[in-house]
Amino acid sequence: MNLIVSTISQGFIWSIMAIGLFITFRILDFPDMTVEGSFPLGAVTAVSLIQQGHSTLLALFMAFVFGCLAGFATAFLYAKLNVPILLAGILTMTAMYSINLRILGKANMSLTKSNNIFNEFGLDKLPTNFNGIILGVIVITIIIFLLIIFLNTEKGQAVIATGDNETMAASLGINTTVMKFIGLMVSNGIVALTGGLIAQQNGFADVNMGIGVIVIGLSAIIIGEVIYPDVPLSIRLITIVIGSIVYRLILMIVLQLGFNTNDLKLISAIILALCLALPTIREQFLKTMRNGVKTK
Amino acid sequence: MKHTRRLYITLVALTAFLVFAFFYTGHTDAKKQNAIPKVGILQLMSHPALDQINKGINDTLKKHGYINGKNIKIEFQNAQNDQSNLRTISKQFVQDNVDVAVGIATPSVQSLKNATSKTPIVMGAVTDPEGAGIISNNKKPGGNITGVSDQAPLKAQLNLMKQVIPNLKTIGIIYTSSDASATSQMKKMKKLASQQGIKVEISSINSVNDIQQVASSLIEKSQTIYVPTDNTVASGMKLLTSIAAKQNKAVFPAATTMVKDGGLATVGLSQYELGEKTGEHVVRILQGKEKTATTPVTFMQKGHLILNEKMAKKLNIQFSNSLIKEAQKKGQIIK
Repeated sequence: MNLIVSTISQGFIWSIMAIGLFITFRILDFPDMTVEGSFPLGAVTAVSLIQQGHSTLLALFMAFVFGCLAGFATAFLYAKLNVPILLAGILTMTAMYSINLRILGKANMSLTKSNNIFNEFGLDKLPTNFNGIILGVIVITIIIFLLIIFLNTEKGQAVIATGDNETMAASLGINTTVMKFIGLMVSNGIVALTGGLIAQQNGFADVNMGIGVIVIGLSAIIIGEVIYPDVPLSIRLITIVIGSIVYRLILMIVLQLGFNTNDLKLISAIILALCLALPTIREQFLKTMRNGVKTK
Repeated sequence: MKHTRRLYITLVALTAFLVFAFFYTGHTDAKKQNAIPKVGILQLMSHPALDQINKGINDTLKKHGYINGKNIKIEFQNAQNDQSNLRTISKQFVQDNVDVAVGIATPSVQSLKNATSKTPIVMGAVTDPEGAGIISNNKKPGGNITGVSDQAPLKAQLNLMKQVIPNLKTIGIIYTSSDASATSQMKKMKKLASQQGIKVEISSINSVNDIQQVASSLIEKSQTIYVPTDNTVASGMKLLTSIAAKQNKAVFPAATTMVKDGGLATVGLSQYELGEKTGEHVVRILQGKEKTATTPVTFMQKGHLILNEKMAKKLNIQFSNSLIKEAQKKGQIIK
């Protein structure tokens, strides 16, 4: 029982990162590798600030700001200097490694003090794991709320239009370059914020903690889409949260079944591949069914 | 809209489950006694050195009459170097109510520490427990954590270098910048060497791919190369020693496994022995003879001298008779 609750709590927290990734991956329609650098960036920023005695809220805010800067770097390479987006993200991600080491001063740092955002505001009095769930739900609600408001403004609609059809958007007088900057910065800001949260939950920051983050995020987005296809944009943000929880539950079951953890990376890649292929398989299946009916 | 409704149903179900769990967990917090003792071992990733530690732990438990599945349950998990796995497995150990949790390598212990402040945790090889913020005092941990440090006997290693390389004035150190324990060893070695008037050149790498270039320029500047206990450099040891050998220079690694891969010599700790010491902590805790709060961290004072004669011949280096005798007696000579 506790294990399931713990897994759900993990799903909630990691879904925040997936929502950030959604902005670039689905709204702007390109995969952004920067997240593997901005995620640890948020973690090291938050942990260093808390260790220096700053408040946890300030630490999270600065994690967001630094994440935005990482997004800015990628956007500059991509939108201003015309570096292909995949490469631009990889460049920022690589550079981030050195920057993260500089910020943290070493490769790995524990939070020796017990004050983290999960224990502040009396959340530590809740049963185990519920502080993560409550905090996760609060942060998710705030972020989804702000995102929906933003996407319904003129600027937000312009970002969506840029992702849908850049040529068309440009012909309508939208400055698509600016839109790419906004999208990448907000996206990486949210990812870094999640990094700051997870570092506080785990009790340490490590410069290697960004490895594989993009797969976790994409899995959440795609599982959400597979379970709930064809829903309006604002609802899709909620499906990501469910997707993230389902992904964690699948991994938990895999661990519980006693699979060798050496194979965990392979299994998570297979889960993602299956979910990506599922719409195509479903279509093929329906087509053959229909044809079958016709020939009769 | 059908799918939107399905989503709402899921959300309601999820909320209902969480509300149920919220009140349910309040009642089951009282821990049940295990029928047989349970030990959870969390290993950071697959690596020959870490695998040796795990083997040492298991053999020691067996030696003390603990047979897995019969009178003890050993739950082994490998986190595959993934942060979220570390956390999930740590939580799982606490849920499973293990009697002792063992963390192999620093991040595993940090993760276990974060999951529980009650269950006894034994460190299986953490280089710098104080520096990593795991415990506040090596002599008197005070909490639920104690164990074994794999801090290499640096002084002995420096003396060995001085004995083998005459007129030693500059040492080059190569280490991985993302490896916290390698970094701390590098700093300690640098301090030791400069106290004895030896200059130290330092270069860091990010991955095995950097070794070729970084090592080539480092070797130009130094008489010999020293490598801390560093998993990444260890993977590229063959490459590093062959680059050094071209310049007729020797590589002194901190770990014994690296001598087998072409290092010249070291006074090293055996990973297996570290595992044995870790296992002994576990056994004493299980028997109720040891309390984590008052048991000092075990530091291995004595190392084994390991010499690589094949490499020495290649570099035209002759080990002194006393070294060879010592290695024959307590250490190992690789021919």
